[in-house]
Amino acid sequence: MHRRIVGLVLRAALPAAALVLASMTTAGVAVADETCNSPYIAKLIKGQEDYIYVWALGVEGVGDGSDKLVTIDVNPKSKTYGKVLGSVSVGTRGEAHHMGFTDDRRYIWAGGLAEPNIYVFDIGKDPAKPALVKTIKDMADKSGYLGPHTYYAMPGRMLVQGLSNTKDKSGITGMALYNNKGDFIASYPMPTDNGGDGYGYDLAVNPKRNVLLTSSFTGYNNYMRPLGDLVKDAEAMKKFGNTMVAWDLKAMKPKQVFAVPGAPLEIRWSLKAGDNWAITATALTSKLWLVKESKGEWTAKEVATIGDPAKIPLPVDISIRRDGKGLWVNTFMDGTTRYFDLSNPEAPKQTYEKVTGKQVNMISQSWDGKRVYITSSLLANWDKGGADNEQFLRGFAWDGKELKPTFEVDFTKENLGRAHHMKLGSRSLKSS
Amino acid sequence: MRSAKAELALVALASAGAALAPGPSRAHEAALPPLEFEPPAPGTYTLQRIMPAPDGEVLGLDGHSHRLARFTHDRITVLGFVYTTCIDPEGCPLAQRVFDSLQRSLVETPALRGRVRLVTLSFDPARDTPAALRAYAGHRAADERSGVAWYFFTTRSARELTPLVEGFGQDVRVSVDRLGGLPRRELSHVLKVFLIDRAGFVREIYSSLFLHPQTVLNDIETLLMEQ
Repeated sequence: MHRRIVGLVLRAALPAAALVLASMTTAGVAVADETCNSPYIAKLIKGQEDYIYVWALGVEGVGDGSDKLVTIDVNPKSKTYGKVLGSVSVGTRGEAHHMGFTDDRRYIWAGGLAEPNIYVFDIGKDPAKPALVKTIKDMADKSGYLGPHTYYAMPGRMLVQGLSNTKDKSGITGMALYNNKGDFIASYPMPTDNGGDGYGYDLAVNPKRNVLLTSSFTGYNNYMRPLGDLVKDAEAMKKFGNTMVAWDLKAMKPKQVFAVPGAPLEIRWSLKAGDNWAITATALTSKLWLVKESKGEWTAKEVATIGDPAKIPLPVDISIRRDGKGLWVNTFMDGTTRYFDLSNPEAPKQTYEKVTGKQVNMISQSWDGKRVYITSSLLANWDKGGADNEQFLRGFAWDGKELKPTFEVDFTKENLGRAHHMKLGSRSLKSS
Repeated sequence: MRSAKAELALVALASAGAALAPGPSRAHEAALPPLEFEPPAPGTYTLQRIMPAPDGEVLGLDGHSHRLARFTHDRITVLGFVYTTCIDPEGCPLAQRVFDSLQRSLVETPALRGRVRLVTLSFDPARDTPAALRAYAGHRAADERSGVAWYFFTTRSARELTPLVEGFGQDVRVSVDRLGGLPRRELSHVLKVFLIDRAGFVREIYSSLFLHPQTVLNDIETLLMEQ
């Protein structure tokens, strides 16, 4: 019954998605910011951040063509405000995507969706100059998973969500657990029974409730394919995730599978004390979904619409305020940044929108919510073409009414590639 | 399917009755934050081997030198880093309260007697001398006769401490709090408590978000049920 509902909704959603996406030259999906970090990371930056680290996809013919971690000065009091301080190339191009801090915030783990490699950057010795200190190469051999996506700090270890697998490169995947030294510990397959579709994307925990939530996207065969081709392939378009899973965090066992049609992506728990709900956005169906606890059971329900779903605006990233009262949503296709009032998470209301780029992907906010950062790239083969292929990091000031541009770094002009995931840094976090 | 050995362990622990669950009537435990979820039953989940516990030179309360490895093997060990002047309620004092509760539960549980030890290791060698640590430990210090050994260690220097904190992944940074008038040296750290199996492998790392006597006792029971 459960699975039947999922299938029905997906079939209804995808033809419209295919139609709209096919009319675009190119398009695409993405996690970010100070309010989205693992709760096990205690060193949050609650004042002015000094740096933004951008994990950029290499582009052939641009700079060295390799994926790289770019450090940008974002402290308005600095003489080099809005400037690139440096970059660390990993020497290969592997569809750089996401990254995450270790629980001590001394290291960033980052990876690409085209390979199983995980790159470990030391940001503790000198937060202004990250250094590549290790490459973890055994994820495929040890877990069978490909395309490490989310890097979620657990005490003394990192839980890595894969998007695909090495066997058939479909979306059937799982999570790999490493200790902070980079030694593989265990793997956990996404459930394929009781309504589970086996797909993975993001993960986020509520330790007070012993709950791990996971979402679902698609596999290598789809996300590495040019979008124009993909959307014409009806069979391939059926191969997107339509579920979220609530896990017993302690036992690392799936407990409940929710039907959430249309590729639910980023997951954000409300950080407000006493709140026990999380929110996500579905890429293909353009909805906000609320996952909450009620009478000891977890439920998922659709609570809002993002833009006009018929036009497939493609929500790709969300960023929640630290008090859980507001949510930024970036939609890739129309390059729009929307703000939803989450005072009642059961009924979010859009109160603001602004076109912030020809294509926009990740969105991050400072702890106080006064600064908002946006990047442009979704996936190499899904980004738009020609003049629409802007590649940037843009800074904005938010006064509660208007997003005002503060600085911009043009990643193409700077020979840096495609700007994707962001993490905030501070010189005060230098290891002693 | 559980092994016969595991079944025996379960029976033994079950016979200990409610002693495994810290009773609400205890004044100390009333101050602990409540556990907001029903933890999975012991033995129904796996505690992964996260990493080998590091070894190094430590000083006991009597000022004598020991290898830490002697106190992280052969019994199940619950180890926490503290510094005695810590006042962060979510930090060392929380760990201490949980350890106090654990000690009482262990004393009251015959099935666990002699099978579990507690270790408190200071990461402030400059101030936490053996004498300072002795005052801090008070009556808690190891009493093998009760069947529950609680050891307190410090180190001679930052040089001896570093490989231990690095090995455990216990991040520590020195900061100065100037808000209270006189500058106060503080050790900024994320609370971590380590559960170590008899072979010396770290099997769980608790943060303040889920450090609770009940979860630790369940995990101890789970380890005891292993082959």
